[in-house]
Amino acid sequence: MNKYVSIIFFVLLSVVFITIQTTLLSPQNLGYYYPDLNLILIVYLGIYSETRGGFFLALGNGYLMDVLSGNLPGTFTISRLSAYLLVRSGSSHVFLRKAFVQGIVIFFATIFTWIFILTIIKIKKDSGFDITAKSILVQGIVNALVGVPIFWMIHRINARFQK
Amino acid sequence: MKFLKNRAVLITIILFIAAIQLYSLNIRERKSQNFISGVVLTATYYPQKLIYSISDKLVNVWQDYLDLVNVREENIKLKEDISKLRMEKFELAEAGIQNKRLKKLLNFKEIPSYPVVPANVIGGSPSMLRSEVIIVDRGSSDGISRGMPVASSEGIVGKVLTVGDKSSEVLLITDPVSAIDAFVHRTRVRGIVKGSGGGCTMEYIEQNSDISVGDKVISSGKEGFFPKGVVVGTITDIETKGSFLSAKVSPFVDLDSLEEVVIILKSNNIVLNE
Repeated sequence: MNKYVSIIFFVLLSVVFITIQTTLLSPQNLGYYYPDLNLILIVYLGIYSETRGGFFLALGNGYLMDVLSGNLPGTFTISRLSAYLLVRSGSSHVFLRKAFVQGIVIFFATIFTWIFILTIIKIKKDSGFDITAKSILVQGIVNALVGVPIFWMIHRINARFQK
Repeated sequence: MKFLKNRAVLITIILFIAAIQLYSLNIRERKSQNFISGVVLTATYYPQKLIYSISDKLVNVWQDYLDLVNVREENIKLKEDISKLRMEKFELAEAGIQNKRLKKLLNFKEIPSYPVVPANVIGGSPSMLRSEVIIVDRGSSDGISRGMPVASSEGIVGKVLTVGDKSSEVLLITDPVSAIDAFVHRTRVRGIVKGSGGGCTMEYIEQNSDISVGDKVISSGKEGFFPKGVVVGTITDIETKGSFLSAKVSPFVDLDSLEEVVIILKSNNIVLNE
């Protein structure tokens, strides 16, 4: 029973996060200072790897990003799935449940996903994407700062759902 | 799942190669839309609309309060404006009659008017990779389909990229994928206005063409997407690029703070202004 409750909770949370990210916290409003809630959720799923359906949730969340960012499947879906797998793999070798460490993991996951995407764009020689190293670094820091309290919040709400 | 956990790096490399393939496939097949994209747009429509309604109401309450503070002075100013406008209205009516008469005289073809659907902007792109995308609260149930042009009262905004049942994604003219056949209003010099992230660039302008900073750029209607004569923007900078001129164009519409737009109901087999 708990398994299904947990999956429903994370599906709902994915929709809520992507809605907030396309409305109140859209990069159109905040520039590159926006927190990437979608990525934060994926890193959470990777760290708390006992969460059921994490692989498919990460896949679905990446796809949501692709569709709502101008329908470019292959960029966010796969980069975020890769980030999820790496964090998940790391969580089985290193203890990632301290707030400070989680902040660092979110920061590096942000950098990783952008390097992943920008490498594809570079290889395919697709021009016009105005993304600088500074904007990626800033987003990594914003994500890390916002991500840690969000982790705490998700953990508390999820625990209540499970009761 | 254990397999995935133990070979994360290897799988990431495989996924990277797959991503490159998917990405190139998508660039080529951007003209089509898959079913799941429509479902995603429809699923996210209701929460987006809810947040839009709440934030819109809050903004309105605050705006009403601000309006009340200045209402007295504004009232006096408005009365003055009304008397000025009455005079202007009379003059315009005269000019209108004269205009009709002259058009008849020149056998001028009337610019056709197209049916439009007004829409509210309820969201934007969730990523800075492609932030030149907005989400509007009209979809296939309102007669919207892919490729329809989108404008505001000030000029061209973009065109419909993905359609859900109740909402649609609009690709702004500033997106690198966007291209509009346009000409300079003053001299009729033609070029292609392409998106460049935050702004636009008018390319393929013949050398020695008469263009200057401050010239207005309008759509030509030649590519069959946008109606003829809609304002695109103003030229802010000109440079030589190979054997052509290239001009930076600042869009007339403030695309960062769009609230309402109109979608021009144009079926795919109808070419505008031809």
